[in-house]
Amino acid sequence: MYTGPLRALIDELGRLPGIGPKSAQRIAFHVLKIPGEDAGRLAAAILAVKERTTLCSRCFNVAEAGELCDVCSDERRDPTVLCVVEDPRDIVAVERTQQFRGRYHVLQGALNPLEGVGPDQLRVRELLERVGAEGAKEVILCTNPNLEGEATAMYLARMLGPLEVTVTRIASGLPVGGDLEYADELTLGRALEGRRQVTA
Amino acid sequence: MFVEAALEPASAGTTVIEGPNGAGKTTVLEAVAFLGTQRSFRTTDREAIVRAGATSAVIRAELARDGTPVLVEAELPTSGRVRSQVNRQPVRDRRDLSRAVPVTVFSPDDLAVVRGAPGNRRDLLDDTLRILDVRAGLALDQLDRVLRQRAALLRQAGGRLAPEVATTLDVWDERLATVGATVAEARTELVTALAPFVVTGYSSLAQEGVAAGSSLTSTPAGPGGPAGSGVVLTYRSSWTGDLASALASRRDEDVRRGVTTTGPHRDDLEVRLAGRDTRTQASQGEQRSLALALRLAVHRLVTERLGAPPLLLLDDVFSELDPGRSRALVAALPQGQALLTTAGPVPAGVAFAARVDVRTIGRRAAP
Ligand SMILES: [Zn+2]
Repeated sequence: MYTGPLRALIDELGRLPGIGPKSAQRIAFHVLKIPGEDAGRLAAAILAVKERTTLCSRCFNVAEAGELCDVCSDERRDPTVLCVVEDPRDIVAVERTQQFRGRYHVLQGALNPLEGVGPDQLRVRELLERVGAEGAKEVILCTNPNLEGEATAMYLARMLGPLEVTVTRIASGLPVGGDLEYADELTLGRALEGRRQVTA
Repeated sequence: MFVEAALEPASAGTTVIEGPNGAGKTTVLEAVAFLGTQRSFRTTDREAIVRAGATSAVIRAELARDGTPVLVEAELPTSGRVRSQVNRQPVRDRRDLSRAVPVTVFSPDDLAVVRGAPGNRRDLLDDTLRILDVRAGLALDQLDRVLRQRAALLRQAGGRLAPEVATTLDVWDERLATVGATVAEARTELVTALAPFVVTGYSSLAQEGVAAGSSLTSTPAGPGGPAGSGVVLTYRSSWTGDLASALASRRDEDVRRGVTTTGPHRDDLEVRLAGRDTRTQASQGEQRSLALALRLAVHRLVTERLGAPPLLLLDDVFSELDPGRSRALVAALPQGQALLTTAGPVPAGVAFAARVDVRTIGRRAAP
């Protein structure tokens, strides 16, 4: 129906998660209407996030290129407690609870053979290295309370078992089958508080 | 058939949907049942559900539950994930749908529950558990997922049990053992709860059948009493002891064959009649009465537990029954909202609240 740049923009927007053809069309027409400088800022932000954002070399959270992430570069954070999450967005959820003052480790996913994700596709080896190198005393397994998250937590508990570290799992009470990202801070805060030691 | 059709059934009692064969009566019931089960009772072929030439079908129902309106919607593409919504909120899990739209379906295909592969009988149990038992419903959804994850892992292993495969398999097996045990336990309890309903249902249906002089072969009266008694339901696990050990002892074979050879997905509900296995050693009349008795038992148990009958969908069931068994079935059904299709006259004894000709419900006819 549309041609040229407008068509291209609708197509690109339509590829984004959660954006169907109708939304893509609506956003494209919105962009067409806004002042050039607003559109410029949007385009620049998209480019900048790709150019200047990478993963933290220590914990694999998002970070500015060449730097540690905000959490890792904060001297006041307790290096003896590591909170293991699947995704950088989960860090945001845990931070909202204001219950956790340690550092994170982002696995970049969960075990999911259906999608071809095994231990080698996750940052598991790096986690095991960090536990020794940073003198961690406790590892909190804060993967999602769904099947894949539980399997991942169980796998990590086994791998961490031989190391001299206490392994804990966030308490249940989170909606079963849910995602951390959508848990409210009160519920997630309680789950962190009520974490229990895991014996593999 | 239809591009679009709308039906407003009587809010209580039975709405009869009439029309010649091929006019779309079953499609209407299939659509309603799909809302609650995300499955067709007629076919597993999605292409066959969606109108030829279309890429998806949309089903929408407005229900009233305890006086509160509930909007349930499903969109089924010819391929890919079915999307369901309750009150415009996406519903991911089938157990939540089953509770939002509890349905009981009687269809001519029900014979497969008695005669067909074990999967038919597991579906009967699992559909019921999804309505009645939140915990079992969750376990069923997780069982389905963990089996698919394990299958993927076994495929990737390529027949060899490397150490890293073994470690990951341990983790999935522990999940499978946990949810699998929950499922098997819930199914066993359900079978125990269903058994008395099946026994009474069968004896009234079978006796009516005999009295009406149907082709029903009369069962030799054993020590259990007259024909019709002696129905015994047994849940048969595909393993003995605990599931974790069974999985461990089957591991080498599972890896070699690339499939999970034991677990609740291999279990069966055994239905015996006077000591005979009804899958293979019962007459067609006995099998038909048993199939009805099983459905009826589920409907009555769910009605008792929920305090209200599920929406009842009767697809052309009476055409297969002699008048005696039709009467017995009608008498045994709890009162509630029902949709009944028939190509012939309304069966004797059925009191109906409304009649609709299926040829009048289309909003736009397909070209
Ligand atoms: Zn970091």
